[in-house]
Amino acid sequence: MIIDVQLASFFTAAALIALGLFAALFLDNLIKKVIGLAFIGDGVNLFLVTLGFKPGGIVYIFLPGMSADTFAQSASYPLPYAMVLTSIVIGASTLAVMLGIIIMLYKKHGTISSKKILDD
Amino acid sequence: MNPLIPIMVILPITCALLLNLIHTKERSVKILAIIVGIALPVIPLLANYGIHYFGGYSPLIDNPQMAQGLPDMITQSALNLFHPAITYSFTSAQKIFVFILGLIAFLAIFTSLSEIKKASGVYAFLMFMGTAAVTAILLSDDIFNLYVFFEIAALSQVGIILASRTEKSYETALKYLFLGSIAAPMLLLGIGFLLGLTGNVNITDIIYSINTGLVDPQNPVLLLACGLIFFGWLYGSGLPPFHSIKSAVYSKALPHGAALLQAFSVFTFVGLGIIILRIFSFLPFTQVAIIVVSLLAMVLGITMALMQSDFKRMIGYLAVGELGYIGIGLGLGTALGITAGLFQAVNEAIITAFIFIGFGTILYKTGITDTNKLGGLMVENPKVALLVMLSGFAMAGVPPFNAFQSKLQLVQASITAGLPELGIIMVLLSIVTFMTFMKAFYTIYLRPKPSELEIKNKEIPWATIISLVVLLLICLILGLFPHIVTGQLEQLAQGLI
Repeated sequence: MIIDVQLASFFTAAALIALGLFAALFLDNLIKKVIGLAFIGDGVNLFLVTLGFKPGGIVYIFLPGMSADTFAQSASYPLPYAMVLTSIVIGASTLAVMLGIIIMLYKKHGTISSKKILDD
Repeated sequence: MNPLIPIMVILPITCALLLNLIHTKERSVKILAIIVGIALPVIPLLANYGIHYFGGYSPLIDNPQMAQGLPDMITQSALNLFHPAITYSFTSAQKIFVFILGLIAFLAIFTSLSEIKKASGVYAFLMFMGTAAVTAILLSDDIFNLYVFFEIAALSQVGIILASRTEKSYETALKYLFLGSIAAPMLLLGIGFLLGLTGNVNITDIIYSINTGLVDPQNPVLLLACGLIFFGWLYGSGLPPFHSIKSAVYSKALPHGAALLQAFSVFTFVGLGIIILRIFSFLPFTQVAIIVVSLLAMVLGITMALMQSDFKRMIGYLAVGELGYIGIGLGLGTALGITAGLFQAVNEAIITAFIFIGFGTILYKTGITDTNKLGGLMVENPKVALLVMLSGFAMAGVPPFNAFQSKLQLVQASITAGLPELGIIMVLLSIVTFMTFMKAFYTIYLRPKPSELEIKNKEIPWATIISLVVLLLICLILGLFPHIVTGQLEQLAQGLI
């Protein structure tokens, strides 16, 4: 049953990435494009979180009284979580810059249609 | 442990942050930027070769104290050999790359401080941040750390375009960010697949896992990871299908900014390209794929450059086309080919910076980039015109300049690798590059001056002239004594095959 949770997470990640790609490539509204791009990043983050998931595992905190063997065998792998934290920060920064640029472009063009703004 | 290795990254980041803090104090910005700018190429020259473990966490096999008390399942397995922390590796090839990047960064900052009326702390901040990020890409042996700096480099590039405040710079920056927001997660996904397979993000450990059979090299997930990382590489370096946006990025930046941006692209290309070769060279199609995209970049970049009337766009496309030469060298997969490709990377970074700063003098004097509206500038400043002409000769591979040596080596490498067709294409495209450049040079400098052209009555700053002369001298030195660089790069090439 637990493995189903992991599989479901992988499928959700794939769905988020596919949905995000669709929005980024085919939608005209710049804000919707940005939401799509955020979905792609979120999908990849979910994929990484799912990678670190260990069925029946424990949090990777070495508690007093815990034997090193038990910890080594049961603790989930912390690296993907550390990566996701960094990735979220980067994603938020990129998102902020994109939205900032869109505000400037809206002031300049009076629209957020990508066809009207971005087509040469 | 060599503390100078991380300082190559930490110093420009710290300087960038300080510049952002004091961005309104023009004099302080100038002093700090110049001092740290000078330090950028000096530090790699002073640093000893070696490996730097962040936090001092070396592999357990080298660190018996840390291994004490750990269970056997760690100390008696491959985990004993793995790198537990972020690792930076500094070899002779990295010394050359970081030195050249630092030098170009210094000259770009030096030129910008003299050309821009009011020194912008924010602009210098972005230049230093980008330089730090690309230096980290070159040094890092940790593929996730590389991804982080890949993103920082992309954001810095966007910032440089925005700070340039040229026409349609916001539109170009947004397009570049949109594409980056697709390519960078794909790169991260590829890294995630590698992590899932090998449990590692350290490149040396990933290679160890594949080579020793800890991971099945035939596992299709490796193919997927290769494809995704390859896609990120195409974006980072501006290879097709990203050639058009990359040249637009160069054209929207100010010339000194563009000089640095192209250096970012070249060294990102080299950094990620070497990693792709290190991890995936056992896959039969990797080298073919590198050659195919490189050929496409050369043909598309150089032919599209021929059609441009905007000289910044023209140089942008030429820069993308020249990347193809580097890729051909890496794709050939022989020691001579890889050495020649890496040598071409060093040369291209220098020459394109030379051209951008040289052509920047035209923008400085006229404020125009459309060649159809320019003419007769030879009379205005023949010495600068001569420098600009020599930069074009260098790019086209005319002897005795450096690109002649690297392109000759590339042709020799393609012949010895049994692919003389590639050599013929490279020679033909060099001729087209020369034609493209001479067409622009004639239009801007030699034909009669259009009556409506207004030339600003201000002298080209001496800092710009000094930068051009320094770049010319390096082109000549590397052209006359190529072994200064090739001898060092050959060691890396030997390690890659």
